[in-house]
Amino acid sequence: MTVHNLYIFDRNGNCLFYNEWNRKKQAGISKDEEFKLMYGMLFSIRSFVSKMSPLDMKDGFLSFQTSKYRLHYYETPSGLKFVLNTDLSVSNARETLQHIYSNLYVELIVKNPVCTSTQTLDSELFSSRLDSFIRSLPYYSPRAA
Amino acid sequence: MADESLFEFLHMEMVSHVFTEQQSSKGEMDNKDRAVCISVLEIMGFRVGQGLIERLTRDSPSFKDELDIMKFVCKDFWTKVFRRQVDNLRTNHQGTYVLQDNKFSLLTQLSNGKQYLDQAAKYLAFSCGVVRGALSNLGLESVVTAEVSVMPSCKFQVVIQKLT
Repeated sequence: MTVHNLYIFDRNGNCLFYNEWNRKKQAGISKDEEFKLMYGMLFSIRSFVSKMSPLDMKDGFLSFQTSKYRLHYYETPSGLKFVLNTDLSVSNARETLQHIYSNLYVELIVKNPVCTSTQTLDSELFSSRLDSFIRSLPYYSPRAA
Repeated sequence: MADESLFEFLHMEMVSHVFTEQQSSKGEMDNKDRAVCISVLEIMGFRVGQGLIERLTRDSPSFKDELDIMKFVCKDFWTKVFRRQVDNLRTNHQGTYVLQDNKFSLLTQLSNGKQYLDQAAKYLAFSCGVVRGALSNLGLESVVTAEVSVMPSCKFQVVIQKLT
């Protein structure tokens, strides 16, 4: 049971924050390209999901899974996108992502006069609180299942 | 009091506004400009402090001496304005007081140590003014400065000016 990594994108597609805890294999491309790839995929999937949905859509795209990992997605009303990759034992990380947004991002970044929300977040306070929060999650352990 | 976020965001915007105003007229900031901005914020705080103390001491009895006034500032005044009490008050009994707050509410979101230390002074100027204004309306002229070494703990130094 583990968390692999977390991305935070703003509404223009810039990656504000990225951190990994347990990633065994890298993507083979530079970090910038990886962020663009991730954002492009999210953008396409969201519009695909809303077009092809057979019923009226409430939340839209939530997560996808492969045989090895699951990607969870949370978008805030202000356009901020949180992406969390975990292993398959975690079925719903929506509350976790909501907690990261309201208790960590809003408290420590929005209320931080020095951090502007359009650049990468370098507040050490935010990174350390986020790190200890992730490590304290019941489904986090240093080794993948 | 109403939601604290309102004041926090307003304060953040005030500081950034004062600094960008100064910067746009000159093009770049040197130490003199920075000092001007800090004193603008401090003067704003002075007026706010004067008004606040009138309101907060409406029902209190008059104070016995200087130390009593300082204790009031550390306990009741600090609680109403910054939502906690001052952790440590030291004095040399000759007019100098040092108030230490280990979790100053305007600094807690900035950082938990040394990051952004150089920017902390901007966010303390208004509060220094508030303290100076409060003391002034209680009859004590003073000079208030703040220093920070590890956030969010900070020390306010109050030097009472004797009328001679």
